[in-house]
Amino acid sequence: MQDEDAQGSTTAPRRLCWGGGALLLTACSGPQSVLDPAGRDAEVLAVLFWWMLGGAVLLWLAMNGLFFYVTRMKERAFSPQAADRLIVFGGVVFPTVVLAVLLSFALSEMPRQRDLGEGLTLRVTGESWWWRVEYRTEDTETPVISANEIRLPAGSRSELELAANGYIHSLWIPALGGKTDLIPGRETRMSLEPVTPGEYGGQCAEFCGESHAKMALRAVVLPPEEFAAWLEQQAAPATPPETETARRGQAVFLREGCGACHAIRGLGARGTIGPDLTHLGGRRTLAAGVLPMSRAALEDWLRAPEAIKPGVRMPAYGHLAAADLAALATFLEGLK
Amino acid sequence: MEKARHTSLWQMIAAPIVWAVHFCAVYAWTASACAHAGAAEEARLGVALMTLAALGLIAVFAWRAWRQWDLLSENDHVHDAPTDGHRRRFLGHAGLLLSMVSAIGVSFVAAPAFYIGSCL
Amino acid sequence: MTRPRPEPPRAWHDPIPQAAPEGIYPPTEEMLRAPVDPKVQQAQEKRLRAVWAQPKGWRYISAVNNSEVGAWYSLTAFGFMLAAGVLALLMRVQLAVPENDFLTADRFNQFFTMHGSAMMFLFAVPMFEAISILLLPALLGARDMPFPRLSAYGYWCFLIGGIFVMGSLLFNVAPDSGWFMYPPLATKAEGPGSDIWLLGLSFIEVASIAAAVELIVGVIKCRPPGMRINLMPLYAWYVLVVGGMILFAFPPLIAGDFLFEMERSFDWPFFDPARGGDPMLWQHLFWIFGHPEVYIVFLPSIAIAAMVVPTAAQRPIAGYSWIVLSAVGTGFLSFGLWVHHMFTTGLPSLSLGFFSAASEAVVIPTGVQLFAFMATLMLGRVRMILPMLWIAGAVAIFTAGGLTGVMLAIAPFDWQVHDTYFIVAHLHYTLFGGMIFPVIGGVYYYYPFFAKKKMSERLGRWSFWLTFTGFNICFLPMHLTGLQGMPRRVYTYPGGIGWDWLNLISTVGAFVVAAGILVFAWDLLRPKRQPPTERNPWQGGTLEWSHDVPDPGWGSRSVPYITSRYPLWEQEEFLDRLDSGRFYIPDAPEGLRETVVTSAVDAVPQHVARITGPAWCTLWAAAFTGGAFIFPTFHMYVPAVISALLALAAVVWWLWTSTAQVPEAPLKDVGLGLRLPTYVSGPQAPGWWGVFITMLGDATGFASLVFGVFFYWTARPDFPPEGAIHADPVFVAAAAMLLCASWGATRVARSVNRRAWHGLTRALLAAAPVLALAGGGAFVLAVTVPDMEPTSHVYPAIIWALVVWTCAHILAGVLMQLYCLAGAFAGKLTPRHDADLWNTTLFWHFLVLTCLVTAAVIGLLPGAL
Repeated sequence: MQDEDAQGSTTAPRRLCWGGGALLLTACSGPQSVLDPAGRDAEVLAVLFWWMLGGAVLLWLAMNGLFFYVTRMKERAFSPQAADRLIVFGGVVFPTVVLAVLLSFALSEMPRQRDLGEGLTLRVTGESWWWRVEYRTEDTETPVISANEIRLPAGSRSELELAANGYIHSLWIPALGGKTDLIPGRETRMSLEPVTPGEYGGQCAEFCGESHAKMALRAVVLPPEEFAAWLEQQAAPATPPETETARRGQAVFLREGCGACHAIRGLGARGTIGPDLTHLGGRRTLAAGVLPMSRAALEDWLRAPEAIKPGVRMPAYGHLAAADLAALATFLEGLK
Repeated sequence: MEKARHTSLWQMIAAPIVWAVHFCAVYAWTASACAHAGAAEEARLGVALMTLAALGLIAVFAWRAWRQWDLLSENDHVHDAPTDGHRRRFLGHAGLLLSMVSAIGVSFVAAPAFYIGSCL
Repeated sequence: MTRPRPEPPRAWHDPIPQAAPEGIYPPTEEMLRAPVDPKVQQAQEKRLRAVWAQPKGWRYISAVNNSEVGAWYSLTAFGFMLAAGVLALLMRVQLAVPENDFLTADRFNQFFTMHGSAMMFLFAVPMFEAISILLLPALLGARDMPFPRLSAYGYWCFLIGGIFVMGSLLFNVAPDSGWFMYPPLATKAEGPGSDIWLLGLSFIEVASIAAAVELIVGVIKCRPPGMRINLMPLYAWYVLVVGGMILFAFPPLIAGDFLFEMERSFDWPFFDPARGGDPMLWQHLFWIFGHPEVYIVFLPSIAIAAMVVPTAAQRPIAGYSWIVLSAVGTGFLSFGLWVHHMFTTGLPSLSLGFFSAASEAVVIPTGVQLFAFMATLMLGRVRMILPMLWIAGAVAIFTAGGLTGVMLAIAPFDWQVHDTYFIVAHLHYTLFGGMIFPVIGGVYYYYPFFAKKKMSERLGRWSFWLTFTGFNICFLPMHLTGLQGMPRRVYTYPGGIGWDWLNLISTVGAFVVAAGILVFAWDLLRPKRQPPTERNPWQGGTLEWSHDVPDPGWGSRSVPYITSRYPLWEQEEFLDRLDSGRFYIPDAPEGLRETVVTSAVDAVPQHVARITGPAWCTLWAAAFTGGAFIFPTFHMYVPAVISALLALAAVVWWLWTSTAQVPEAPLKDVGLGLRLPTYVSGPQAPGWWGVFITMLGDATGFASLVFGVFFYWTARPDFPPEGAIHADPVFVAAAAMLLCASWGATRVARSVNRRAWHGLTRALLAAAPVLALAGGGAFVLAVTVPDMEPTSHVYPAIIWALVVWTCAHILAGVLMQLYCLAGAFAGKLTPRHDADLWNTTLFWHFLVLTCLVTAAVIGLLPGAL
């Protein structure tokens, strides 16, 4: 009930933003913007922000207007009674009432955003500096493993179990809702309720070392049926390479020992140190949201990952022959 | 009659000390109730009881401070004369104001137990 | 000068009476009106001038007077601020455009870590202490701070530590894990960066606590006669509150640093989850310090505003009690906010709610503060002097920061913007509005007081408008940058998601701020060829404006009798009486530096304190203390221990030769018909208060360790682990009993000494350290005999940490007992002169509590769990 109210009332302030001309339009929207919500929680918080901003602007003007008035404009001194009243009402009564209202709203909203929901359960593990993502479904016993991309069905609340390996991270997809930290030795949880299908940016928000800046991710919200189909496809092993180049790439992959760190289900690579590559080519980005998924980007990455992501653990493969490198990239891109 | 507490800075900050003790108690109680048993109801009940106790204590200190302030006998609250009386009434006045803020603080801090019913 | 009086008869078991004030107090109007012979005046001035003269030439650095130390302190802090500001500019250059490679990730991480650390630890807090050391004695009409050598020691520690920490940038080994140093990132970080942060800044924190102790004692005990608690300048109220906050906020961080360094150096797994540790404990300890810290920075700056506003309005402050409420209330509530830095760590909603609520509640006292200023301005006729312009800018910026703070206190909203540029904007709004602007306003206001010259009105306005507009150009867009999803602490960012322009604008703004600050720095430091200003250029009403031009070094010509909040406005012929030496201690016939010590609440004179003059031992002590903290950074433990011992020797020498000296006569005529004791002990003595206040802070540090035990118990299911080895209960019980006996012996020695039973006193003082050492040894055996291995799990590690902490304190306690014993033999400790023994006993009261709590935790906890 209250959710509907909250969503219903978004239109007015939103119009304020949209209606403010092209400048404001670009200012508020964006793939990673708190003010361009696509989930239930983010929506509520965006509305809350606009209300708080309105109130803050009014109070700021009142406060500074009063200061300007009493220092520059007033003709004669006020009475001591007026000064006392200002302290009592301005300093105590008014803020107590306003803050009590605001706090009540916040406290009643908090459990709703912490509700675990009845939808999907994911497990996200923060690594240095990428995200391991595991989907748990009732159909399969082993989780479906992916990396650096979180896909969620629209219209239901999904639970995310959070863990960390090494350092503390924080998972944040602004368009969907608030962030929660991933802490070594602890199990934290968050939940998200996406509303509008689409692609959204996310990023690690807790400083986690050298490449903290390069630890992004992509969130893809799909209609529930599409999501189910996608998950089924992800659960399947990789399709063997079909072209000659791709087969050559696979050979390079195995020869160079990439399987020691990476897994490609169905093709014999079982490493778990780095991201699972079974359906790498189907992801939107590469290297935790840093590069677009393309053959050229893959080649750049394989050649000198350190240049793109300082401190990364993946070794460089710049010593490979150009043709081998290209073949490897083709093979990897083909893992849809 | 000048009593010992009329010259005491401790008396002046008694109410905020109650706030601080209440805050720590509420936090520790909730942390242990939630961590070891996941018992949200127990946590909330404890918070409610501790809050009543804290507000009661603050009321006592506020009453004492009000008596010490003694506003009604001399309708003035500037208290800037170099006398025992003004010093006593200043400490009373400050103590009363601190009781007021502490009472607001304790009520605010107790509010989450009213709205939030789980340890999540 | 004083005639020996006949001793009253005394029973054998009665204590020997102590000297007490004699004569007339308060002074009558007639006495105050009586003129002083000009010849006498001149002779007095000559003697005072000689006593308070500063050392010349290279000996200047041995000065300890508050006006010198305060000036060095504030200029050093300002220098560190400029350095940290340069780091900010370099970071802004890097962030001006997307995918920039002006700085590498590693450099950028060092820079933002050091920008935050330096601004907080090397600028904001030291600046408060510096300004307070400079101002407080003047505000209180005192001649100096109660412990001038302690201020000097604190300053040298600060300088050495600051250069060490900042210097690491030049060698590319600066800490790079953020100013909050979260483990496991900071514990696992390679290189000495984390150690430099931990040890270098702990060293500075110790100096900060020393300054806080001194400031609190200054406010409580060094007020001029008659300045009752309801007449105190508001600045002094703030110093009292902020000093108290430092006392309770810094020790948790020092305790955290201790655990952290134990993990770094000896692999005790306090924050390692694989062995039962938890990185969250550090976050708690850090923010229990870190949030009050923000108010520790904010309140003193507001205090400056509280001095400027009445002068600008030319009337007394309105709502004095309200402002006291605000300062005290903010001081308390600010300790209930720390988890709002941890809203996203997945703590239970209920817990978050408590902190969210307290974060909102703190708005109330802060608001009261601002409205009290408004009320004062409403009542007066306001002159918009230049300092007021800066205060107006502060109000504009601070209210904006406060209002975003209200938003951030809403936990769900914080989940969105936490760790984004929205926070960067918010915190700079609060710190520029709550600290930089009022402090610069304060510098313009107080410059004529410090330097007896005026800064330029024109440059001041240029500086203001550049800083103000530049600040808003830089930080206002950052709110939006954050809402657009840009996290903090990223060394670069991709283009095309709406952050490019916003960042470029911020960078431009940053350089405009820098220009404004440079104009200010030039105006502050440029040579000024101008005649000295008048004595009270702004027509202020408080005591600091009574200082003469040029300042003769003694501060107040005579220590005044105060009957008003604004003596310069309201007390008759005040300056004449002050200058002619009509008030207290107008002379220095013994050639000693002195100040008047009064009672805590009503400021009744109790004692004339001899305070210390120029010294080298403080410099030595600081240098060796520096060695004790700096050598371990490079794992050089032997030189570290040697340094520590030398530092200890320097401190003992300093105390032995200059504190609690037996005076030439028990009473001294201080003028106006009053004779005050020259030696007091116990609660009347500033030294006793110094120990009491230090020990409150120390107890907080210990409580933080005990909190750690409680924390592990709630947060970790494996605490203590199955089949853990526990401390040996027999040894624990023995330790508790031996230490109680040592405490008892010390306490009894104090009473016995007063009865002049010398033999028994000495016997007790000799037995006490033996008992204490045996007790400490029993504690060590309690953990070593059952072979508790601190690297194996956090449970033995925290028990060990408690034992190490306790034993270190026992050693200090033993040293104090031996110091008293030596004093008894050397004639420094006599039945009438027993301040050292009082202080030692007080230390032991705290120590015995520490020991009993340690014994209870390590001995009884296993059963209780």
